[in-house]
Amino acid sequence: MLAFLIRRLVSLVPVLALVLVIVFSLVRLIPGDPATTLLGPGATDTQIAALRAQLNLDEPALLQFWHYLTGLAQGDLGTSLKSGEPVLSEVLLRLPATLEISVAAVLVAIVVGIPIGVLSATRANSAFDHVVRIVSLTGVSMPAFLLALLLQLVFASWLGWLPVSGRMSSYLFVDHVTGFALIDAWLSGEPGAVTSVLSHMILPVTVLAAFLAATIGRFVRAAMLETLGEDYVRTARAKGLSRREVIYNHALRTSLLPAITVVGLKFAEMLGGAILTETIFSWPGIGRFMFEAIRNRDYPGHPRDNAGVCAAVHADVAAGRCALCPA
Amino acid sequence: MRLTRRIFGALSGAALALAGLPFAPHGAFAQEASTLVIAVPSDPAGLEPGINKAEPVGSEIILNVFDTLVAWSAPGFAQMEGRLATEWTISDDGKTFGFTLRDGVMFHDGTPFNAEAVKFSIERTVGMNPYVKATLGLIERIETPSASQVVFTLSRPYPAFLSILAQPQSAIVSPTAVAASGEGFATNPVGTGPFKFRAYQADTRVVLDANPDYFRGAPSLARLIYTIIPEASTRRLELENGGVDIIQQAGQLSAVPTEEMAAFASNPNIKIIESPSQIIRQLEFNNSLTDSPFADVRVRRAIASAIDYDGLLAGVFGGTAERVYGPLTSNSWAFDPAVKDLAPSYDPEAAKALLAEAGVNPADLNVKLYSFQGSLWGAVATFVQANLADIGVKVEIAQTEFPSYRALHVAGEWQMALDGRQPWYNDPDAHITIGYLSSLKDSAMTFRMPENVDLDSKILMAQGAADMDKRKALYSEIQKEIVEFVPGAFLFSPKLIVFARSNISGLVINSAPPLNEYWSVSKN
Repeated sequence: MLAFLIRRLVSLVPVLALVLVIVFSLVRLIPGDPATTLLGPGATDTQIAALRAQLNLDEPALLQFWHYLTGLAQGDLGTSLKSGEPVLSEVLLRLPATLEISVAAVLVAIVVGIPIGVLSATRANSAFDHVVRIVSLTGVSMPAFLLALLLQLVFASWLGWLPVSGRMSSYLFVDHVTGFALIDAWLSGEPGAVTSVLSHMILPVTVLAAFLAATIGRFVRAAMLETLGEDYVRTARAKGLSRREVIYNHALRTSLLPAITVVGLKFAEMLGGAILTETIFSWPGIGRFMFEAIRNRDYPGHPRDNAGVCAAVHADVAAGRCALCPA
Repeated sequence: MRLTRRIFGALSGAALALAGLPFAPHGAFAQEASTLVIAVPSDPAGLEPGINKAEPVGSEIILNVFDTLVAWSAPGFAQMEGRLATEWTISDDGKTFGFTLRDGVMFHDGTPFNAEAVKFSIERTVGMNPYVKATLGLIERIETPSASQVVFTLSRPYPAFLSILAQPQSAIVSPTAVAASGEGFATNPVGTGPFKFRAYQADTRVVLDANPDYFRGAPSLARLIYTIIPEASTRRLELENGGVDIIQQAGQLSAVPTEEMAAFASNPNIKIIESPSQIIRQLEFNNSLTDSPFADVRVRRAIASAIDYDGLLAGVFGGTAERVYGPLTSNSWAFDPAVKDLAPSYDPEAAKALLAEAGVNPADLNVKLYSFQGSLWGAVATFVQANLADIGVKVEIAQTEFPSYRALHVAGEWQMALDGRQPWYNDPDAHITIGYLSSLKDSAMTFRMPENVDLDSKILMAQGAADMDKRKALYSEIQKEIVEFVPGAFLFSPKLIVFARSNISGLVINSAPPLNEYWSVSKN
């Protein structure tokens, strides 16, 4: 197990290197530079030149890349050109917001996706199964931003049942303690704050969970159908084990392997920040930060996130799959 | 751990239980009656004068947390009133400005406001803020003959100095608080204003609490919250749903499209407050290109005559913008009404005739019209394109993202472009100097005027003349000269529009800089 993990981690290095080079170059190929964006339309060239010099944007690209790599090796992710704060602290500041909805989304997706997948498989080709398959196909194919906009329009605008955006009602204010809105709201004792946070989480979590739940459901269904036809399952039934025992203790366990892979990949991706979902719901997470960083040509602000996501994906999935393999 | 049905059941049950929780309907919080929520598109760039630049969010917060010596009086903004100063004098040579300060004013930290604080604040801002070099940088020395008197001596006459002192960059900070916080003052600003700074949560909100000891009287509101919502459509939904109280379309480049004005107009819960601005948006020619067909004034006049100005104001803006005839808006004190007759008016036949006279075949003019991004600019560009198509000129629209757009504009790689200026202080100098001074053409987004010693010197003279009447006369000449040159087609001046819940009253909307003051606001 350890050797396996070490091999996987080592294989991260070339992937990471490639990602870093690509992201670094791509971002700098976009015309227009941070100094211009920071100063706005009314600025003169002298002002812009002064800012560029101040921000070391005049260094040759290779030298900038070298600084970037050495900084990264020391855990220094650079300083945001927009805020002047270290990128690491900017990302960590926004991490709890993304974590909150990502974890909730994964939990919801598992709780919804697995049972639906099982029921669909055990009632294969019934009306229920057909409905589920159509709905999950939609869930998998619909772009997240479209779902987000639709849900926002229907539930927030037309019906008025749920809030439009943000983590909490704009009229409330709680002090920032942990960065997790639920915990901070509860700690503050402000009446109505916790309920407000919960109701604000519903739509973004639904959007994030939708794709995942649909995917999990489909994987579980497919894998279960396959497993239920296997010899060892028929043997187990012949031995007298109940249908329920067979499904949950034998078939499901095997079927969960591909599901775990997907959950791991998607969770790591979500941690990178669901950019469009966070923007539509004004969720102050990493995704929105990355989006703004690209828009503002805040070079230090984004490359690391992508690299980090790739690394996390490999490690995460590898570990998860290991755990499920029969010993 | 075994995956049992019980565990699934428990989790599903929990999920359902959560879903069944009562959702607080809007208006359920007690705080809502005394809290004003303003939705803004971005984080403030700086919360104190020492780092402030011409950016709407931070600048507006500064105007509400701090005070300046003087300010322009609502609602006309043609007269000045004293805030931290009660009286002032200007020397005959226009270089010395003396102020008598108000007594009994305290900073939010309890320390007294006095002449030393003024001297400290302005000198500090000049020392640390690169954006004030051209304006506050003209100060040679600041003297404090007494605790309630302050005298500024400039290096050259600069009548717009009073306007500069009304800007957020000239706000007065608490020297004690600066000494105590050091670098942290930017995240903990202390001023004398109607609201005290309470908290800033990045990407989320800025919270200001009322200052009960404010010298003009305590505000009606107990709290002001700026909530940061980057998407315009989300801000609109929030306003409609009662999630926020105010959203603004301060003539910004990518604001709420004017089509949605109609939606708000029919909504009884929302009122629309319009106010004239000093913003000018225009179609510019690259006036430095010598070998372009647009180097001929007849061609320029033809293009300018092909545009249906009133149609643009009615069709695209639905009455939310006003006509502009030249380099200044009609509400500027230096505006010369004579330009109304000199400016080209909509006459497609005359346009075609002018092109013929200039020997230019409209079919040969294949022009790329550059523009900022956003639906507002897109609509304007499309309208212009249609107008020019009517006289046979083919226009290709190239909406370009800002930093790239500026780069190509300043490099002169264009023939026609949509551009504009939002002046950040209330003086004709704000439009005329940066837009038309030929020496600035390679370093800023301008009309790229060709070198004209006469016009350039008039512009600089008007900037520095101490006598108001002399300035007015000079600006009159400058306006007429510019309009006759036809450096572009002056298209529109967007009104400053604030969309507010109907129960809001008492809002003050400044014209330049276009920032709101909330001291007098109340919720009924």
